[in-house]
Amino acid sequence: MSISSIVDLSSRLGGTGTAATGAAPAGGAESSGSFADALKGLVESTDKSGEQANAAIGGMLDKSVDVHDAMIALQRAEMSLQLTVQIRNKLVQAYQDIMRMPV
Amino acid sequence: MSTMNAAMNASASALSAERTRIEVAISNMANAESTRSANGEPYRRRDVVLQSAPPMSFDGALGAAAGVRVAAIVADQTDFRRRYEPAHPDADADGFVALPNVDQPQEMVDMLSAARAYQANLTAIGLIRDLVAKALELGR
Amino acid sequence: MNGISESEVVSALRRQMTIAAAKQAAAAGNLANINTPNYKAVEVSFADTLDAQMAATHPGHLASGAPAGMKTEEIRNAQARRDGNTVVLDQELLKMTRAGGEFSQAQTALAAKFRLVRYAINEGR
Repeated sequence: MSISSIVDLSSRLGGTGTAATGAAPAGGAESSGSFADALKGLVESTDKSGEQANAAIGGMLDKSVDVHDAMIALQRAEMSLQLTVQIRNKLVQAYQDIMRMPV
Repeated sequence: MSTMNAAMNASASALSAERTRIEVAISNMANAESTRSANGEPYRRRDVVLQSAPPMSFDGALGAAAGVRVAAIVADQTDFRRRYEPAHPDADADGFVALPNVDQPQEMVDMLSAARAYQANLTAIGLIRDLVAKALELGR
Repeated sequence: MNGISESEVVSALRRQMTIAAAKQAAAAGNLANINTPNYKAVEVSFADTLDAQMAATHPGHLASGAPAGMKTEEIRNAQARRDGNTVVLDQELLKMTRAGGEFSQAQTALAAKFRLVRYAINEGR
């Protein structure tokens, strides 16, 4: 998975503006330090979607938010989190592979 | 307020209101021949006045489901019926008895209309519940 | 290739669910007032054309899933009974059932969509 496609997927999961702005620098610049930026953007958007899910659940409980809206917020948060965790796993794996290489 | 909650409240309010209409119709029918009630007069027919309770939300688009309430239960002011029955204990000097202003067929019609509305709103509650259940399924 | 992104599909399905819920709620309000004198039946309507809605709605920007221009208003040219009421019981019940179906349809599609995305993220695990 290339960096730009990772961030693009996260913004396409939708719902948060942070991921959308994160996509801009990754568009042209794999060579600059945008990997860290892209990762940071991803984590921020995951946090934000988690907060939105909490707010939505709260709204559902006090009957101000429709149930389907709350469920969609929940799912978005879950998918965002899963994506972040998967990327983290891949990074850890890549790091371990590198460390195993004979110098 | 969430859309389905407003809808549920509306249907529930109808169950309550139509129940009242049925009870009043039954009471009217049961007292159709009561020539003397507590105030000395014949039983006076009662009528249920319904009023919508529209909770329009700010934008009027979401969660807008008008409920219904019993605004009042009023005494029907139409004249009592009169029947010639000199032997009746409550007959007046001319031999006429004043009877309640209850028209049995009309009470039946009212009661059936209320029962039908009650049934429909009960069905509505089931449909709303089904929709909410579907929504919850999205959370797996 | 498809010009529709993941989140546009999600938003479109969410919008369909919100509309279906609003339709069912409007019909429920009508049924509740089937015997209210002078009550006028309402329905969910859209001021804008469908294209205008698609253009105007940004995924995630609206607090609710409701499309712009959706509102509840009195049904036009409705026949009133003697008590001034315009609600037709069978029609409203049918509307509620239909709305339930539309909601169910969108929900099923959305659930499948979520499954797909999750599968892609987890690479089948």
